[in-house]
Amino acid sequence: MKVRRLLQLTLQNLRTSRVRTLLAMVGIVVGTALLMFFLGLGQGLRERVLNRIFPVNQLELEPRSVQVFGTQQVVGQGPLDDSRVAQLTQLPGVVRAFGKRKSAFPARLWGGKELLGYNLFTEAFFDGMPVEMLRAELATFEHADAKPMGKSARCDVDLDCPAGAICVDALCQPVVWSAHWRATPAVALPCGKNDECQSGTCVEGRCALANAPPLARCLLDKTAGNGRDLEFDAERGLTARPCDAAGGWCKTAEPCPERMYCAADHPDTMLGYCEEPLPAVINPLLLEVFNTDMARSLGAVPVGSLAVLYGVRFHVAFGDSFFTKDAARPMQQYKQAQVVGFSRKAPELGVALPLAIVAHWNHRLRGEDPSGPYDAVLLETADNEAVPQVISAAESLGFSLSRKSQAARTAGAVIFFTALGLVLLALVVLAVAGVQIAQTFAMLVHERRREIAVLRAIGATGSDVAVLVLGEAALLGLLGGLAGVALAWLGAVAVDAAAQHWLANVPFLPEGFFVFPTWSAPLALGVSLVCCVLGAAVPARRASKLDPARVLAEA
Amino acid sequence: MSTSAAVVARGLRRRFALEGGGVVTALDGVDLDIAAGEIVAIVGRSGAGKSTLLNLIGAIDRGYEGDLAVFGQELRRLNERELARFRNRQIGFVFQSFNLLPGLTVGDNVMLPASFGAEMPDALVRTRAHHLLDEVGLGDRFHQPPMQLSGGERQRVAIARALLLEPPLLVCDEPTGSLDTATAEQILQLFQDIRAKRGTTLVLVTHDPAVARSADRLVRLERGRIAGTSLEAP
Repeated sequence: MKVRRLLQLTLQNLRTSRVRTLLAMVGIVVGTALLMFFLGLGQGLRERVLNRIFPVNQLELEPRSVQVFGTQQVVGQGPLDDSRVAQLTQLPGVVRAFGKRKSAFPARLWGGKELLGYNLFTEAFFDGMPVEMLRAELATFEHADAKPMGKSARCDVDLDCPAGAICVDALCQPVVWSAHWRATPAVALPCGKNDECQSGTCVEGRCALANAPPLARCLLDKTAGNGRDLEFDAERGLTARPCDAAGGWCKTAEPCPERMYCAADHPDTMLGYCEEPLPAVINPLLLEVFNTDMARSLGAVPVGSLAVLYGVRFHVAFGDSFFTKDAARPMQQYKQAQVVGFSRKAPELGVALPLAIVAHWNHRLRGEDPSGPYDAVLLETADNEAVPQVISAAESLGFSLSRKSQAARTAGAVIFFTALGLVLLALVVLAVAGVQIAQTFAMLVHERRREIAVLRAIGATGSDVAVLVLGEAALLGLLGGLAGVALAWLGAVAVDAAAQHWLANVPFLPEGFFVFPTWSAPLALGVSLVCCVLGAAVPARRASKLDPARVLAEA
Repeated sequence: MSTSAAVVARGLRRRFALEGGGVVTALDGVDLDIAAGEIVAIVGRSGAGKSTLLNLIGAIDRGYEGDLAVFGQELRRLNERELARFRNRQIGFVFQSFNLLPGLTVGDNVMLPASFGAEMPDALVRTRAHHLLDEVGLGDRFHQPPMQLSGGERQRVAIARALLLEPPLLVCDEPTGSLDTATAEQILQLFQDIRAKRGTTLVLVTHDPAVARSADRLVRLERGRIAGTSLEAP
């Protein structure tokens, strides 16, 4: 039978039984719409909600531990050093692996006056991360590859410049903050021996910088007020080393160069070094938590976007704590840090610093070996599908998922099974629609039996008749499927619009809850088509077996 | 069995099983020869087996006993697909109630037989449909739905449909049964014209004496048997 003629006859039949076919199509439209809707919702929740909080293809592994008398004790395979990180990198499906260290020292931080009008104070927690681990993500978040290089405007301070630019030599210049995320920033780190320094050289009680001149001495301005708890002792500061001594300081020292500040050696002196601020990376979720949960109670205005946080400086007091015993005051240091980017690998309630900085302070304040083992390893897998295999392989090497990754897996599983349940529900609706199609076509075949007999009389085979009925069902499935897909899409748009309107203050609210993978529409159409064709299969067979002589005789 | 004859039936018997058990014999040993180009009217009372015989000759019923050949083709030897193709090429059907598909236009109805099996270019099919509609006097109705036509016009469309693939045999079941006398006469004249122009064999089942009179030969059936073959009025 010619396809064009088949289509013509099929359309004719659909037109003739318009109301009945439309009613039969309702179930298919609803079922397909539900299927598509839930597929999009499941994928959207995974990609836009879960993946924002816990990137699915990133795993945080820790050495396996067991509870012994209520405390976690690491068991098995020895220290988590570079060789074990390399071992994890070799696992199939793993793209990259990096060790990280958590801060083991007390610290607190304060800042935010530039944005909020007053400083916020909090205990501080740090993750020390290799710079390579975050570099690509920082650049992506900052859109570093698309930095504007427009006409430079005159300025006095950074605030005179638009976002993405800073004031350099009285001109606004584009800045790529992620470029400031360096392993060894120009920071004066106190030391006693050479092996405490990453550069391997300790000079005058400070680690020498690799491939850089020594940092200049400076004197804090009394009015600088480097923190509310500083009790500057001018006398003690002034009785330090004389101006002409090696590495000495001068009361009349020049101000620090641009982009540097004077960091005191310890809280009880005005003497310090001109340093760069510590490059700090924060998790973008921190901003959402602040905006949705904290800003109101703190009387602060929610921060509009991540962009305004680039370059913001805050103060860090190493060895000083709100909650626990402080380090001896000479061991403490007050420094500045600067937000240079955002990463979902950074701790949600903490700050990521270069690994060497955290390792240094872990050693100085807690005595940990600076080249000692990592606390955890971050793995990046090639894709989400590789994750279960990588977890299994890592577990066999003596690792277990960190609590964060475990929570991510659990949340992922909950979303997956919920979406699966909803998709199954949609499939049940489609199956019921298929039964409805079967009933409708059984009736249609019965009503058209005379017409079918005439077709048989003029030369149609039983197969031609079956193809005609199935073609009609397929067309119904296709039209119903298209309508269902369109309905699902409209539903998704409506739900997203309603969510933006009614749930604006809910944390982690994505721009949209739905992601329709490219395969979802063809799949929904295919399922709709199959349901209709299967539903019409029995009536089609019955039509093909119709005895034309008997039907014509009945007439 | 002669191959020059249009229809040759020997000892043709057709029995139907009843739902409640038992068997009814609709045709009981019919011997019939119809020559090519002949117009034969089959008459008889209701239940005499007229339509059963027509269905067998029209190859839409193959549950017979005995021998039946149409243009030399023994129908029993054809499988279901071959039989459909045979009907498509060799036989045209005309029904009492026209049986046009209401969703198609007049032209599409006429072209319908070309949809099944016939490997004929679409353009040729369309030209032939136009030509046939001209021939039956409905050349200007090609794009109209059949529901807008009168009974006689619909029957003429049905005849054009039956002739599309130029079958040598037309089987007509009460072709004038739904028409008034004047229209019926026009249809009968059309049959004569068709036979004259194409040499088509026509087998007509009818209760209408006028139709019977227009035939070359009349076959009277009674209780499944041929009671006579003549030109006398039924």
